[in-house]
Amino acid sequence: MSALSTVVGREYFTRVRSKPFVIGTLLAPLLFMGFLALSAWLGTRAADAELRIGVVDRTGELAATLIPRLAEMGFRVEVLAAEEVGDPLEAGAPPLDRVAAGELRGVLVVDEETLRNGRAVWWGEEGPSAFRRVTLQQAVGQAALEHRFRGEAEAGMVSLLAGGSLEVVFVGEESDPTRDLAGVVLGVAGAFILYFALLVYGAMVLRSVLEEKTGRIVEVILSSVRPWELMLGKILGVGAVGLTQLLIWVVFGALLLTLGAAALLPLVAETGILDQVPVFLPGWGLVVFFLICFFLGYFIYASIFAAVGAMCSTEEEAQQLQLPVVMVVLVPFLFLLPVLEDPESRLATVLSLFPLFSPILMFARVAVDAAPPWQAGISVVGMVGALAVVAWVAGRIYRVGILMQGKRPTLPELWRWVREG
Amino acid sequence: MDFPPAEIGLSPPTVRPEGPVRVAPGFAVRLEGVSKSFGDFRAVSDLDLEVPRGTVYGLLGPNGSGKTTTIRMIMGILGPDRGRVRLFGDDPGRTRRERVGYLPEERGLYRKMKVRDHLVFLARLRGISRPTATKRASEWLERLDLGAWSHRRVEDLSKGMQQKVQFVGTVLHEPELLVLDEPFSGLDPINQDLLEAIVREFHGRGTTILFSTHLMDQAERLCQRVCLISRSRKVLDGDLQGLKRAQRMGVVAVDFQGPADWAQGADVEGVEETPTGLRLRLRPGADSQGVLARAVGSGARITRFQEVEPRLHEIFVRHTGDPGPDSP
Repeated sequence: MSALSTVVGREYFTRVRSKPFVIGTLLAPLLFMGFLALSAWLGTRAADAELRIGVVDRTGELAATLIPRLAEMGFRVEVLAAEEVGDPLEAGAPPLDRVAAGELRGVLVVDEETLRNGRAVWWGEEGPSAFRRVTLQQAVGQAALEHRFRGEAEAGMVSLLAGGSLEVVFVGEESDPTRDLAGVVLGVAGAFILYFALLVYGAMVLRSVLEEKTGRIVEVILSSVRPWELMLGKILGVGAVGLTQLLIWVVFGALLLTLGAAALLPLVAETGILDQVPVFLPGWGLVVFFLICFFLGYFIYASIFAAVGAMCSTEEEAQQLQLPVVMVVLVPFLFLLPVLEDPESRLATVLSLFPLFSPILMFARVAVDAAPPWQAGISVVGMVGALAVVAWVAGRIYRVGILMQGKRPTLPELWRWVREG
Repeated sequence: MDFPPAEIGLSPPTVRPEGPVRVAPGFAVRLEGVSKSFGDFRAVSDLDLEVPRGTVYGLLGPNGSGKTTTIRMIMGILGPDRGRVRLFGDDPGRTRRERVGYLPEERGLYRKMKVRDHLVFLARLRGISRPTATKRASEWLERLDLGAWSHRRVEDLSKGMQQKVQFVGTVLHEPELLVLDEPFSGLDPINQDLLEAIVREFHGRGTTILFSTHLMDQAERLCQRVCLISRSRKVLDGDLQGLKRAQRMGVVAVDFQGPADWAQGADVEGVEETPTGLRLRLRPGADSQGVLARAVGSGARITRFQEVEPRLHEIFVRHTGDPGPDSP
């Protein structure tokens, strides 16, 4: 059993078995799903109450064209017989008792005047919301028009009355809007995961280095493990923890999606959304490139974080000193949307070729199919080169730093560590 | 040197050598002209050191004299700028990992790890297989009355218990050489006795023990050989009894009644009160007869006047001109 694998094993298993990891890993998706479910539930509840209305048709004719339109706009309509309707100004008279009871949001009354000029009456304790007011007016107006043109109505008339439609023709390159959207979604999601992973797991490496240093554990370990083995073991161990966590989330997410889709299948199948799902799945090429970005990016930043941890003697110092590194990770994240907006611009190309930004930005550009393969290749070479330099420098700083207690090194001292390390 | 039997019921869990232990000849540790600097600061200068196998060896000196740096070089944590470190007559290489146990001055454990898991981890770093490590860790924990704590986290233990766990971690792989840096500092009295018992026990099995300390009394009780260093340089080294005999001239114990002013003089370097009189450290070359004559002349009634073996502390002070870390 080599010392390296012992270090990796300890780093991995103590973390994976720890309560914070188990709770965090299980809780994060549950919280996320719970949040989604809650907001969806609140949304439908509010919408449900908002959309339940009664209709009184005094013409006896308009309901036939009006009801389907209202239903199409999402209202849940209950047709009330005109005879049952009392004087709206008299308290408690039907059907306003039901409005007062909260069963109906309001009552829409259409009569002969509506047929002439599209004017309808709304009875309710409150007016409809501004948005609903417009849709109600549209529905009533269009129903009245359709009623007036009844007889000469043909297939096109309904569409015409609905306000026509616009078909967009793209000139030049062949383009599929769904596919483009899928690229952007994958680019944003993947870049976000990479950003999260670099920061969270990188900071985990820093914590781990600092724990060994401030806990005075490192010296015992260094008597049987060489410094580079300890640092590498730490980075590998935490990286494996990160992969485990991401994998659990991916499986969890896929499971929920499948179960959810199965439950909703009868509902969803009609909409044709299911046909589009495969478009949103990443291709193998993209998955591989994601993993390359994940590993190279993680190794680069974890090395930097390890060196920072070795330079510090206290938690406070570490928090201050890691700030510049966090800023460097933040830059590509901030440029993510501008880059995706114009992924072939010079700015996007230059930024994504910079090795410290490549893990996030080059991935995003590859996801939207905007980076030619040679650029992706150069970025990989760049990241490997950067990793070599960073690991060499960080390894030397680490080696000297973890045995130093007391004040933080000045820049000239740091340079000496690197030179003499 | 014969050690009295351990006092706290320690008995080795595995092998108990019957009769005197045969120790292979040669040196467990050998430094040849080793130097180390940090920037402009000279930590160790041109140090030669030989630790014969099977001995208890004390590396003595005040704080900041270079003991820890020397030990870190022996452990391969620091590389010497010049000179050579050899262990068991060979380049240290990877054998250091399996044959040496190390207790650094700065001690610490992973607070969140469970006690036995932690010990197994330390032993595995030293090349012991998991089953063996687990078995030995359990045995040691039982022996030190920590069995009930095996599955608790380190942070739940008292400081004294953590110190015990740390010793166990140092010896779990049954090393041939134990390197202990200021092992007694910061220990409560019970653990000081425990560690001393462990040291004696391992010595009894033939293990070589090298430890540093600035507590001369401790060294005097435990060591067979010592090396005194001061300000990065070796002052003196060798067999403790031999050193004391060779350094015999110059320390006088006087029991008396009456005035004590005769004890002051150009030939006396240091005076120390004892329960029955004074202990005088004479200047090098001074004749004790002069002091005796002065004492008698002053009217003091002398009941004992004896040249005695110097204490390690006195030897150290004589050779460095340094009042030494033990001085009040």
